[in-house]
Amino acid sequence: MQEILQYFFSGITNGAIYAVIAIGFSMLYNSTDLINFAHGEFVMLGALTMVTFSGPFHLPLLPAFIATVCCISIAGLLFERLAIRTVRFPEPIVLIIITVGASIFLRGIGMLAWGKDAYSIPPFSTHPPLDIAGAKLLAQSLWILLIVLLMVACLHFFFKKTLTGKAMEACAIDKRAAWIVGIPSKLMVMLAFGLSTGLGALSGVIISPITMCSYDMGTMLGLKGFCAAMLGGLGSLWGSLIGGFLLGILEALGVGFVSSGLKDATAFFLLLFILYARPGGIISALNVKRF
Amino acid sequence: MRVQILYSFFILMVALAGHFISNAYYLQVLTFIGINTLLALGLNMLMGYAGQISLGHAAFYGIGAYATAILTVHFSWSPWLALPVAIAAAVMVAYIVGVPTLKLSGYYLGMGTLGFGMIINIIFREWSSVTGGASGFVGIPALSLGPVSFSSRQNYLYLVWGCVLLCIVLCRRIIDSRVGRALRAIHDGEKAAAAVGVDTQKLKLQVFVLSAGMSALAGFLYAHLVCFISPETFSFIMSIRMVTMVVIGGMASIWGSLLGASLLTLLPEWLHAFSEFEMVVYGLILMIVMIFLPKGLTRGILDIVERSRRSL
Amino acid sequence: MNSDHPLLIVENVSKAFGGVQALSDVSFQLFPGTITGLIGPNGAGKTTLFNLITGIFPADTGDILFKGSSTLNNTVHELVQCGIARTFQNVELFESMTALENILVGQHARTRCGMWGSVFRFPWVRHEEGRATKIAFELLDFIGLKEHALRKSGDLAFGWQRLLELARALASGPRLLLLDEPAAGLNMVETMQLGDLIRKVRDQGITILLVEHDMSLTMEISDAIVVLDQGKKIAQGSPRSIQEDEAVMRAYLGTSPQK
Repeated sequence: MQEILQYFFSGITNGAIYAVIAIGFSMLYNSTDLINFAHGEFVMLGALTMVTFSGPFHLPLLPAFIATVCCISIAGLLFERLAIRTVRFPEPIVLIIITVGASIFLRGIGMLAWGKDAYSIPPFSTHPPLDIAGAKLLAQSLWILLIVLLMVACLHFFFKKTLTGKAMEACAIDKRAAWIVGIPSKLMVMLAFGLSTGLGALSGVIISPITMCSYDMGTMLGLKGFCAAMLGGLGSLWGSLIGGFLLGILEALGVGFVSSGLKDATAFFLLLFILYARPGGIISALNVKRF
Repeated sequence: MRVQILYSFFILMVALAGHFISNAYYLQVLTFIGINTLLALGLNMLMGYAGQISLGHAAFYGIGAYATAILTVHFSWSPWLALPVAIAAAVMVAYIVGVPTLKLSGYYLGMGTLGFGMIINIIFREWSSVTGGASGFVGIPALSLGPVSFSSRQNYLYLVWGCVLLCIVLCRRIIDSRVGRALRAIHDGEKAAAAVGVDTQKLKLQVFVLSAGMSALAGFLYAHLVCFISPETFSFIMSIRMVTMVVIGGMASIWGSLLGASLLTLLPEWLHAFSEFEMVVYGLILMIVMIFLPKGLTRGILDIVERSRRSL
Repeated sequence: MNSDHPLLIVENVSKAFGGVQALSDVSFQLFPGTITGLIGPNGAGKTTLFNLITGIFPADTGDILFKGSSTLNNTVHELVQCGIARTFQNVELFESMTALENILVGQHARTRCGMWGSVFRFPWVRHEEGRATKIAFELLDFIGLKEHALRKSGDLAFGWQRLLELARALASGPRLLLLDEPAAGLNMVETMQLGDLIRKVRDQGITILLVEHDMSLTMEISDAIVVLDQGKKIAQGSPRSIQEDEAVMRAYLGTSPQK
């Protein structure tokens, strides 16, 4: 029992991170019909920028956090402007290769800027781990969960209550119709890119204390975040959230009860299973409202 | 008739290359180009002609390589006996995976094949008692056929490019037939293809299986060339590189596959000069080519030539 | 003409999408060698009916019999093999292929060369290929596009694309041909030529089911008319009787049935 709880805790911690990455994927897919294979690299950039801001630059936690997310969002905007909007024939296959090229490029940048070493930063707070029924929950895990829940609340508020959020939703549902009623859809796409990469950076920041951050950490995280998004239903924010947690928990249980070697395989088995059994995901984005 | 001339020219070039180039490094690079051409050719049948994307094709490449490695080392089979088994293994896996996966389309198909590729790669890495695990599989025997040893680089070059020629002929014949027309029809419009009586599901599966078989052949040639394989070679990155070869060279173009494979093999070699900047430059080149020549180099360059001729 | 057995029997067919009843309890029969016009206001269920007959999705209830046997469990391409061909409302040619190749693909159902055949090019394969090309040229001649055989179908004028799609459907050697708004986007002269062609096709013994908004064309060439409105069949009969039918008038002029 205690063991299961321990796995569960580590599962929801990872799950929260997958969820943030998945939401980034889903949001972008919604507004642009694009799957950004470079998304994981923005997570990596977020984590490493955070390392630099809080390490060599000696910024306090919160300013470092905000500066990181802003920097990466701007990088995301640049990426959209330079590499995506310039594409003349935006077919899926072309976009896949461009984003894959971007992913290699960004990984190269990461390696140039930070070298091949792995870094980590101290946890956000130095509380001792909580002891719940014999299982330990790290303070950082609580931080992660807290930040993720806060972020989801903010996003929910943004899409439901603000005009910009509604305009984005309108763009996601029908770009042409949104354009006809005067919504600047190009701006919305840019905004979606900024938000999506910002979310990537956010997930990079919150895991930087609990993982070794290096230039090659992004690919696997990106792919798993992608699996989580598929699991929940590509394009559905709530689905991505649920998919992320589900993936995290199942992965942790898989490691605990089957074999740690299969940790990475769990995500892909789940991906195949969901594709074959219910391609729309658990919360089918095809039927349910997108946000 | 033109085709015969092209083939003769092709054979002549390979023969000349093998005869005059004695530098081991150049021969090796040329051989790798041949192996990559096989990969690109197989995937081009699937992507360029049938219009189905696969982001997990390195798995079949790996299955070919690992199957022959296991059979020749653990079971001491002759490589020539292992070859058909290796291809059959890839074909069988492709069939089993293809039936459910090819029902998907677009991004979903991409993701399904990606997931499959990752799982196979994890199997290569984790099933260490059979595959040697992450550290790789050593001691794969070199090829020989009676008195002819393929451990000489010249002979291996001939062998690989012989296979390439064979596959080119095979693909061309398929494309110029009822099957090939149906494939292109699926690419242009799956709904309309079904409406003229094409069994789209069956045909997509056949091409998927064909391209898996060709990838396995490439894997076999690779394994016996370098005599050492590790899961890294058959990872997601390789799958992506295969897709890139097809797209950069030009979809639905056989000679484009050859071009794409050559470029993508040579590029990293050239980029060694950039040492640390290698990845950055590689990524940049991919993006730039796709942004400005989305139909691939063959088509893209032809378009540019045509445009400049028109403006003259 | 009606003495034969019906070629196609649609029997109490219903189909719903979510809460929308696209077709409810529709029945009619098509007799060999006739042209039947299927008309009705937008959203009447005409295209749904086409999709049911060609096997794109199955009916919820009811049955469709083609040459006496049920088609409910057949896939689209199997039905083409049985002899049902169609054209699409928005022309769906294989645009990167030439006109000739489009018709060659159209013959897919009645040729049989597979993977092995194409690799080894057996004599029978070459024979089959030659025959297919000959038929393709005959069909191109039939629609008057023989000179344009080697042009990319995507580059042809729109009216020609419609004709090419018709020829492609004929290439499968159908018994039943379903035409989905073949005259949409054509000018008057082209529409008249199309009408002549459709008659010629009928005279070859091919049964035709025609959805068309151009009433003068439909009334002129059809032997019988079926009228759908809001998923129900509201009238059936000769063109003349339909033109005088009150229910049809109401459906088209929009007066509600209660008044």
